Amino acid sequence: MKSSSVLWTSFILQMKQSFARPMFKYVMLVSPFLSSVILGEIYRYAGRGDEYFLSYVVLGSGLWSLWGSIIFSSIGDINRERFTNTLSIIFSSPTDFRIIWLGKILGNTFLSVISFFISVLFSSILYGITISFNNFGFVLLSLLITIVSFIIISISTSYLLTLSRKTTLFMNCLEFPFMLLFGFAFPVSMLPTPIMYFSYIFPITWVIKLLRSSFSENLENFGYYLSFSILTIVLFIFISHLLYKIIYKQTKILGTLDMV
Amino acid sequence: MKIIEAINLKRDFTIGKGIFNKNKKTINAVKGINFHVESGEIFGLLGQNGAGKTTTIKMLITMLAPTSGTCEVLGHKTFGEEKQIRKNINFIFGGEYGLYRRLSARDNLRYFANLYKVPIKDRDNYINELLELVEMSDRADTPIETFSKGMTQRIQIARGLINKPKILFLDEPTIGLDPLGAEMLRVTIKKINSQGTTIFLTTHNMYEADELCNRIAIINKGEFLILDTPKNIKISTGIDEKDTLEEAYIKIIKGAKNEII
Repeated sequence: MKSSSVLWTSFILQMKQSFARPMFKYVMLVSPFLSSVILGEIYRYAGRGDEYFLSYVVLGSGLWSLWGSIIFSSIGDINRERFTNTLSIIFSSPTDFRIIWLGKILGNTFLSVISFFISVLFSSILYGITISFNNFGFVLLSLLITIVSFIIISISTSYLLTLSRKTTLFMNCLEFPFMLLFGFAFPVSMLPTPIMYFSYIFPITWVIKLLRSSFSENLENFGYYLSFSILTIVLFIFISHLLYKIIYKQTKILGTLDMV
Repeated sequence: MKIIEAINLKRDFTIGKGIFNKNKKTINAVKGINFHVESGEIFGLLGQNGAGKTTTIKMLITMLAPTSGTCEVLGHKTFGEEKQIRKNINFIFGGEYGLYRRLSARDNLRYFANLYKVPIKDRDNYINELLELVEMSDRADTPIETFSKGMTQRIQIARGLINKPKILFLDEPTIGLDPLGAEMLRVTIKKINSQGTTIFLTTHNMYEADELCNRIAIINKGEFLILDTPKNIKISTGIDEKDTLEEAYIKIIKGAKNEII
């Protein structure tokens, strides 16, 4: 049985599982409307212009929805699978856990991207923002890299959460702080300097800049943001590889794969 | 031929983890047990709740690392050489968990067949055979979440057999099964054992252990109290071999707490 087959079946299984859950349907289909209104009203009250609305309301709410969906699906799935005892079973199967988990994250991310587009569409209609771009190829490339960066962050975070049974607590703690840290809603330059530098470690911070740049008229920073996006993605691929090696041993030492 | 071997196998758990938690407590779940299982044998591990049965199984199925001691399955260490073991073993835990409840029985079995690298050309026929074996063919395409506890447990059994394992570990597999379901499981265990599969079974059902097991170990507070054939266990406790194993078990647990055999 090839790895690609496991990847595909995990991808399909995860989409069937996730979409059957009312909570995921809410996060995927309803939450994008709320995030659009919240950010839209903040910027409307602040009297900001269309440029801010495109960057921080339209794209910001889209990314917030994407992040929320990923938190409550890919990352939250560790807890669900632990509770239903399937985590320990898939972990102890002959297939490499990384392949199984990547398939599941791809499935969740595929569904979560829908919430991104719902949010973008709704907020642009609600606040009358025209989405325009100079180069469709750059937009497509930046969207692709954005998705890859969310996938790699999901992998690293969910690996870490296999070590603890307090996943629900961490899951809820991750949404808002990281939304601010990555700069979904506000520029990261508004953050205190040490935190701003910390945010630059994460690929999501760079891909957001890349995505905003691809929609703007000024594309001169596109290459710069693209380089840092790829660099930090490679860094996190390396980190997730190291994390897997650690958690592979530690989960068996700590015995955190199931609820008993 | 020894197919499982444990030498001075220990497993501790620390309760109250965290840097600032001063009330850390170490629980010795398994305290240096020694045993082996022969190829083709049905080996039973009996004990009270919390005695160390599940912890022992988890170490054998490569899910949990031993704190110390040696634990080998099919000639490979369960911690460090898992890859060589996993494709040849499978396990079934009692209860309703261990399946994707929103998916159908067939989808679950297909998924686990993929994880256990069952060739696609044989997969669907074998799944049908397994569904027939556990008498669930008519509900194969129904989501697990609509099943009763017993029906779910039957699908768990089918899942455990998906890779035709050389060793099947069963942790209280008849929990929640009605008498007919339990009987069906016993027949299945005998059948797969007759085909050469070694069985490692934990159960609270003494009748089941007596009927199925070639040898039985009784574990209490992480230590073996006795390891012998059901017949010899009864004789050693002074009861008639025609009496139930339950009488011998109760006698051993109540009266021989400090006797390590």
